[in-house]
Amino acid sequence: MSSDEVMAPPSLPTSQAQVHARPRRRRWRTTWSLRIGLAALVFYVAVALLSLVWTPYDPLVPGIGDGYDAPSLAFPLGTDRLGSDMLSRLMMGARYDLGIALTAVAIALTIGSALGVVAGYFGGAFDTIAMRAVEIFQAFPGLLFAMLVVQAVGAGIVNVILVLSFVGIPDYLRLARAEIQAKRNWQYAEAARLAGNPRWRVAFRHLLPNSVGPLLAFTSINAAFAALVTASLGFLGLGLSPNTPEWGNMIARGQDGVMTGQWWVSFFPGLAILGLTGSLYLLGDALADLADPRRRR
Amino acid sequence: MRAAAVSDALLEIENYSGAFRNEDGGLVPVLHQVSYRLKTGKITAVVGETGSGKSLTALSVLGIQPPTFVRSSGRILFRSVDLLTLDARGLRAIRGSEISMVFQDARAALNPVFTVGRQLADVHRLHHGGSQRAAMKRAVEALSRVSIPEPERRARQYPHEYSGGMAQRAMIAMAALICQPSLLILDEPTTGLDVTIQSDIMELIVELTRSRGLTTCLITHDLGVVAETCDEVVVMNAGRVVETGSAEAIFTRPADPYTQRLLSASQMLEAA
Amino acid sequence: MSRLGYMMLRRLLWVLPVAFGVVTLTFFMARVFNGDPTELYAPPEATDALRAQIRARLGLADPLPVQYVHYLGNLVHFDFGVSFNTGQSVAADLSDRLPATLELGFVGLALGIAIGIPAGVLAAVNRERWPDFALRGFTLSGMALPQFWIGLVLIWIFFVSLHWLPGPVGRLPIGVALPPKVTGFLLIDSLLAGRPDLWGLALRQLALPAITLGISTAAPIARVTRAAMVEAMQSDYIRTAVAMGHGPRAIWFRYSLRNALLPVVTLIGGIAGHIFAGAVLLESIFAWPGLGQYALQAIERSDFAALQGFVIYASLLYVLAFLAVDLVYMLVDPRIRA
Repeated sequence: MSSDEVMAPPSLPTSQAQVHARPRRRRWRTTWSLRIGLAALVFYVAVALLSLVWTPYDPLVPGIGDGYDAPSLAFPLGTDRLGSDMLSRLMMGARYDLGIALTAVAIALTIGSALGVVAGYFGGAFDTIAMRAVEIFQAFPGLLFAMLVVQAVGAGIVNVILVLSFVGIPDYLRLARAEIQAKRNWQYAEAARLAGNPRWRVAFRHLLPNSVGPLLAFTSINAAFAALVTASLGFLGLGLSPNTPEWGNMIARGQDGVMTGQWWVSFFPGLAILGLTGSLYLLGDALADLADPRRRR
Repeated sequence: MRAAAVSDALLEIENYSGAFRNEDGGLVPVLHQVSYRLKTGKITAVVGETGSGKSLTALSVLGIQPPTFVRSSGRILFRSVDLLTLDARGLRAIRGSEISMVFQDARAALNPVFTVGRQLADVHRLHHGGSQRAAMKRAVEALSRVSIPEPERRARQYPHEYSGGMAQRAMIAMAALICQPSLLILDEPTTGLDVTIQSDIMELIVELTRSRGLTTCLITHDLGVVAETCDEVVVMNAGRVVETGSAEAIFTRPADPYTQRLLSASQMLEAA
Repeated sequence: MSRLGYMMLRRLLWVLPVAFGVVTLTFFMARVFNGDPTELYAPPEATDALRAQIRARLGLADPLPVQYVHYLGNLVHFDFGVSFNTGQSVAADLSDRLPATLELGFVGLALGIAIGIPAGVLAAVNRERWPDFALRGFTLSGMALPQFWIGLVLIWIFFVSLHWLPGPVGRLPIGVALPPKVTGFLLIDSLLAGRPDLWGLALRQLALPAITLGISTAAPIARVTRAAMVEAMQSDYIRTAVAMGHGPRAIWFRYSLRNALLPVVTLIGGIAGHIFAGAVLLESIFAWPGLGQYALQAIERSDFAALQGFVIYASLLYVLAFLAVDLVYMLVDPRIRA
């Protein structure tokens, strides 16, 4: 084995040399993306759960510190303008950002891919209408739509979740439709039909499971996007009530502090968001690699 | 005997062995002590089924084998220089100007976003310098030389506007006429083309070889192509060279059972 | 040419149903969700009669379908109505604010492209080595971080801590008068007015928001460039180029990049569609008087006409961005041109 390495041809002079990736490295990269992404996600879930039973201080109570206390042993991440403990608020915030993003995405995935399977498999008028609707909807700025609706129906977790899932539906519809259309005429699907399976069963039980990989990979990316929109709404003060320790909300509350040098109030919630969305992106990349072996090359 | 062999061979492959590294890092041997020689000024056919290692060996000559291939032994001597020991710069000096190659699917092998004329001209300037205008003129001449009608107009077209046969002619013009190599390797140049086009392309290859004194290596799985055109034949099977000899000898007195099977399968035995 | 013209025409015509759909969607959504904005504009002690008067002035007295038909009728004459908020016609409001958004958008996008494409190429040619890993970290953070947070951190570093760049107070320092409006782009108008000092001030104000925008657009551009480059470099035609003896530079920059640019163009079109519709949060942080802020205010104040006008503009822009992408495609990819 080591002698093989020694005998290996001299380094190749072109792009090909670099493209000549080492397969083990690539596989290594996929598995590590998967591991890091999953581990970070588990960590966030654990923190969210832990915050239900324990936080260093009460996250919602102001005046624990003097206000704008710099990070110290007593307050590892400092306190905000009102003197609430940042660490406690960040921990509780995981519940909101993680919970909202995951729930919204789960709803969008379910509804969107069901519609997409129907549109892709059965085609016809439903398909035409669905695709036109998707096109119109996608010309509509997504964040603006979320802002508009949330402003209108009022702040609240349920409203934010519903809006986010609605925004996500068109993407899933398109993706699932494309997946099913690509596979509808497989011999495999033909065989399932000839074996007497009803059409809906072929579509949902035989074809959809084959598309789970790409759908899940997209879901992970989409969850990151949903978390970012959640934070954006919170930042604008549109999503949740002002004292809610949602991370975007917290960044907004720290905005004035940034101008006067109390950077930590806005800084740490941003890192929390980075960790969550970053791990979701990593996970999405790894899942996409696994779903499409060709991509791994 | 050994000395004599060196003198009349432009390229010698000696005991070339290697394996593919799979995803788990394990090695799957694919070439076993491959040895053959390309005699100067002759057309040598390397014949074998898909997966016999014939293309892989040829790609190794130019150092463009797939990234996952790992060599374990052997030498590839070109004018007594082992190509496998050359560095990037050394290889680049050989590529095109000394050894040039024509690939199977010519339409895919040409860059889709540049005109065919521009691609030929680029290669011309790379090897011979000169102005863009002069290079373009040589490109048009080369296209005309390989019997592409309306070469000026064709030079301004993109690969997707060419038929498969036309694209292969352009590819041959690039590899044989623009590069002016001493060794031309053709990797399944007629596969995927219509039968009549195939014989036109083969005629072109033979004609260019003879008129320009090229040494030509034709890699193919099609014995029909080989019989009429080639001087020497190398038969490969499962990563091994099973038989080498003159075309006449191979077709009339195949010694190896695999060669016999190959011949009978393509019904050349009766024909010969 | 005729086929190209036909495709363009079809694309342009497709704008109409999309615009109609967007208009209808916005109209009803704004009213169904946002309810009655009369209260926002009436004094608390207003009598019912005064309220009714205000409602009528806001154009809300008629039943919804009548309002809708009326609105559509006006739209045909490019009349977007009058903003409750500013008292100006929405068209005038939009065109007032457009240059601020466009100026920021152009500079930000240019930065994003200038960083993203070379970074993607660098990662692709050094695949699975340190530049590739470094870029992966950059793209991951660039995409995973909220734009407004990046903006705040840059303000903290370059304004609050280092004092290198001015604070987030809009397009010019407070108290500095705008140059006479010609194009609306301060970087151009200030020069036309012969005021290089103003040009410098405007550029310094623009720097932080533009860099923020540049970072967050460079990340996805670099990512797509890398992937497309990697794919191009594994193609048959690159193998040919290698076999013909071309050097690495020609292989990367001349032969691979041109092919790899196709998906990048699509992405840039999508990004441009979003940016030129106004980066809502970015403009809000930097007090940038552009379309994004206008839309935010319209939402907060239930300013129907303004909101509708903005959404129509934004969705048209989106469709036009993709039209532009098609055009660029035809320039870059001969297969489509034929």
